[in-house]
Amino acid sequence: MNTRSGSDDPRWYQKAVFYEILVRGFFDANDDGSGDLRGITAKLDYLQWLGIDCLWLLPFYKSPLRDGGYDISDFWSVLPEYGDLADAVELVEEAHKRGIRIIADVVMNHTSDQHPWFLESRQDRTNPKADWYVWSDDEHRYSDARVIFVDTEKSNWTFDSQRGQFYWHRFFSHQPDLNYANPEVANTMLDVVRYWLDIGLDGFRLDAVPYLFEREGTNGENLPETHDYLKRLRKEVDTMYPGKVLLAEANQWPEDVVEYFGDGDECHMCFHFPVMPRMFMALRREQRHPITEILARTPEIPPGCQWGIFLRNHDELTLEMVTDEERDYMWAEYAKDPRMKRNIGIGRRLTPLVDNDRRIAELLHALLFSFPGSPILYYGDEIGMGDNIYLGDRDGVRTPMQWSPDRNAGFSKADFAQLYLPAIMDPVYGYQSVNVEAQLRNPSSQLHWTKRMLEVRKQHPVFGTGSFEVVSTDNPSVLAYVRAGRADPDAEEGDEGPLDIVLCVSNLSRFAQPAELPLQRWQGLVPIELIGRTPFPRIGELPYFVTLAPYGFYWFQLAEG
Amino acid sequence: MNVLPDGVAELIPEYLARQRWYGSSDVPAEVAVLCVQEIAERDGHRLLDVVVDADGDRYQLVIGQRHSGEAADFLNGHEASVLGGVGEWYYYDAALDPDLALALLEVVSAGAEHASRVRPITVEQSNTSLVYEDRVILKLFRRLTEGRNPDIEVTTALAQAGFDHVAAPVASWSGDYGDLAFAQQYLAGGSEGWALALTSLRDLYASPSEDPEAAGGDFGGEAGRLGHITAQMHLAMANAFGVERRGPADHRWRALLDSIDKRLTEASAALGGGLAQAAAHYMDRLHAINETGPAIRVHGDYHLGQVMWTDTGWYVLDFEGEPARSLEQRLEPSSPLKDVTGMLRSFQYASRAALGDRNDDEVAALEPVAAAWERHNRTAFVNAYRATSGIHALVPDGEEGWEAVLSAYEMDKALYELDYERAYRPEWVPIPMSAIARLLVQ
Repeated sequence: MNTRSGSDDPRWYQKAVFYEILVRGFFDANDDGSGDLRGITAKLDYLQWLGIDCLWLLPFYKSPLRDGGYDISDFWSVLPEYGDLADAVELVEEAHKRGIRIIADVVMNHTSDQHPWFLESRQDRTNPKADWYVWSDDEHRYSDARVIFVDTEKSNWTFDSQRGQFYWHRFFSHQPDLNYANPEVANTMLDVVRYWLDIGLDGFRLDAVPYLFEREGTNGENLPETHDYLKRLRKEVDTMYPGKVLLAEANQWPEDVVEYFGDGDECHMCFHFPVMPRMFMALRREQRHPITEILARTPEIPPGCQWGIFLRNHDELTLEMVTDEERDYMWAEYAKDPRMKRNIGIGRRLTPLVDNDRRIAELLHALLFSFPGSPILYYGDEIGMGDNIYLGDRDGVRTPMQWSPDRNAGFSKADFAQLYLPAIMDPVYGYQSVNVEAQLRNPSSQLHWTKRMLEVRKQHPVFGTGSFEVVSTDNPSVLAYVRAGRADPDAEEGDEGPLDIVLCVSNLSRFAQPAELPLQRWQGLVPIELIGRTPFPRIGELPYFVTLAPYGFYWFQLAEG
Repeated sequence: MNVLPDGVAELIPEYLARQRWYGSSDVPAEVAVLCVQEIAERDGHRLLDVVVDADGDRYQLVIGQRHSGEAADFLNGHEASVLGGVGEWYYYDAALDPDLALALLEVVSAGAEHASRVRPITVEQSNTSLVYEDRVILKLFRRLTEGRNPDIEVTTALAQAGFDHVAAPVASWSGDYGDLAFAQQYLAGGSEGWALALTSLRDLYASPSEDPEAAGGDFGGEAGRLGHITAQMHLAMANAFGVERRGPADHRWRALLDSIDKRLTEASAALGGGLAQAAAHYMDRLHAINETGPAIRVHGDYHLGQVMWTDTGWYVLDFEGEPARSLEQRLEPSSPLKDVTGMLRSFQYASRAALGDRNDDEVAALEPVAAAWERHNRTAFVNAYRATSGIHALVPDGEEGWEAVLSAYEMDKALYELDYERAYRPEWVPIPMSAIARLLVQ
């Protein structure tokens, strides 16, 4: 059952817009207070209308849910609250009918401590799964590996009294790391991948990918063994399941992350983490350099690869990939209440982060949609949902999707007390005022704006595959760049379509700004503003002069006029 | 060809008077053509490089030649750049002609550099700059000086000394009459320090906070990095051009103090209010110091307009020195604190310039904020400068010596500004005035 959906483009992910869904939080189809797979199926028409190409589902596998489902206790089955395998199959089929693909999280690195493999492994030192996890008598092994969840964990080793040994965990102590040095484990995890691709998933987001293997004297990240395993995984996917995508989560500097593309023979996509905090920083500082610096230090990636870029996601706004000075700055500016800080980051949704300023939210999306990479939207951000910083851990940004002003935000017909988390109810971001239904009725809503932007983006594949070049301008508050390339770069030579040139100009300041752009190389072309199709004056021999409203931006196609 | 076509020399005097890079708006009385070279030819258009002597100063012209009937769109709106017609030809500034400008890069680089597109930079005064593919910038010197052009000399020496915060030299070109052109890496996408400082100030002045460090657009980080780069530049200067040990008895230090004393006496008379006495104390303090630190080659005209913030940090530009001074003065070694104070003065100017044409009440309300911004960034700059490893060998050792020498150079600069503002921009006089008053009472 190797269903293909949408176009047959094997590099669809380079031009796609992704939408990240927390299964638990999207829509409750069986009124039990928790979102489920059938709930997503019920909302596919909405997602198709919005212009989404691919869903990314957070983990829906069986789990004790001590870490939002990233603590998987059975790779072969669906968490009962979310439905069953039949629901998963139906969701995939219905999505494919609408031209929407689906990828899902898979946690390769570890399992829940409730997983039968671990329960067996911890029994004694000789059972058949004894070597499926990383056990040691010495809690000082691999001491060069850092502790990631510094707020909760003191060590990467935890003592198991049953077996009388320490087990290794890079994340929470209830998430023991699988032992990839054991070929049985490595093979079984490939089985897991095959199983879900057979069901029809279009790929995976590979969670916490740098940590698969460990070795003494190293920090246990990005080891060659890990890359070799990913190459093996990729080869399997390419051979058996062409057109499927592997998206790696490696929260590192771009020059290090590119290793996960291999020579185009590892992951198809990797997240670009550091660009995101810098977008916020550039806006707060009203100058482009935080952004251009990180893009300048982003290496070329092999053909057929793509960055995944995002403004916000289900985790905190991670500040691992900024300097200490920048982190202090971000905390001071965006986490004014200490409760907003989570681990090394900021636990807030987009709209509250920008003080509910619609202009900033739109500008950030315009940047996201036009930067090199495939944009990943986080559910609810298209309507400007808020957060609840008083909920524990990262739950503050995982509240129910706000569908309507009805009871429980139209998310569930269960009793309020039954909800997995309360819907946002404050006067500004509460579901009474912020919801899909109201925004569908209002043509000037953020939701309609987002849909329109995605339509425009889809008309210009250069946003996904074109070159990126910064255009110099004297005004530090203005960021201008050109995306250019053939309409269909993957087609046969001579058949790639016309050259498409898109010029993006953004004002990062809260004040109106002028800019002179040296566009003389395109002298004679006419900039056509892409959202209203308004032709601007022809480019001449002098620098091109534009004025921008506060937080204003233009997308121009440079066309023969 | 080493002579001008008949009739062209006669067009030059009036042409010169129309050029911004020419020293005067009067037509020169005497123009002698010193040198003519045909350096390139493209599609029948000739490119002539010409050096003339106009009333004792030497200038470089690049002249394009075309047939009279042949249109040249690039001259539209640039009538001042056309020399005129002679017979079946007409002559114009070849820097505007894209084909000839591309040829010029090949000539300057002896064939090493080729480009497919070029654009002129329109704002510059004393030279003509051309940008090739946003990759290389070619500075065509207009007013020629004898000997090595300091910009080429210093930039090249610093690059060779391993200081990579100058735009890397690409090629230089010279003739019998000195250096003619200099090609360097173009810092695409960079922002001038001045513009960046104004961005920070704009944010601060519009924010409810009066604390520059708490404002989103805080410039302190950049100011600190600039201080560090400045110190590294001085270390590279010392490495490339040597270090001259000097003390308070050195005649140049005495001359600086005498000059300050003289101008300060005049200025404090104008300021009144007991400042004359403060000036006397101030001079006593400067005379009393027992060390001035060594002298090195310096930038000489160092301010926020001479540094660019790029994706790889600060870059220092334009080592020509203060244009109003003679070449000899510009090459004169000095304490590196001359550059430090140049930048510090620039911080004050930026903080005041950003007040714009607000009304008096607003200015009065914002002045303490401006002063706080200046103080904050001064501190960040100076602390990072002094914290740079090795810099202590180039500056006065003790705190007293450091303060006094810094103060002397800042006073020298502020007094110069005072004269300049009085002559050209009386509304700016309060800026150096306040600096002078501040230095006197410190």
